[in-house]
Amino acid sequence: MSAEVEELLKRFQSMKNVTGIVVVDNDGIPIKTTLDYTLTLHYAALMQTVREKARQVVLDLDATNEFTFLRLRTEQNEVMLCPQEDYFIMVIQSPCD
Amino acid sequence: MSAEIEDLLKRYQNYPNVSGIIILDPFAIPIKTTMEYTLTVHYAALISTLTYKAAKMITNLDASNELVTIRLRTKVHEVIVLPSENYIIIVVQNPGT
Repeated sequence: MSAEVEELLKRFQSMKNVTGIVVVDNDGIPIKTTLDYTLTLHYAALMQTVREKARQVVLDLDATNEFTFLRLRTEQNEVMLCPQEDYFIMVIQSPCD
Repeated sequence: MSAEIEDLLKRYQNYPNVSGIIILDPFAIPIKTTMEYTLTVHYAALISTLTYKAAKMITNLDASNELVTIRLRTKVHEVIVLPSENYIIIVVQNPGT
């Protein structure tokens, strides 16, 4: 898994406008990050609850369906969340409108 | 406001792949829908709680920031939520990809 995560990190980090990448395991503990520690913890804790909520929403609507991706667009930046089996990846980017 | 909502409905409905549009008032009560009633109420309850949770998360991270759009992708379809001051627009589409 760590090789896989490293590869993902490198690929995302080289993209334009990406300001931060955080990889969080299922217990809400950040395992990889490009942000500073305090901000990482803040993002990880909040996105953990949003991720679980989104998963429940999708399962409740259709039990055969599966939550694959979430994009939160805000005024200042854009937060993307991609759940995997053992962890989830969060990418923060400034929007290129 | 109702003319504005009608205009939004017409505009979004003409997009390809759009399978349903729901417009909620700020209390998560559906005021316009193109979907069947029980499904509309189900979507309204679940998506509105996710929207409030995400909006709260964004303001928690940065008080000056504000949520603009949520895009929730699942295996089967994609739900796009546009919260605004007076209503919440939910668009359900089946991406062709």
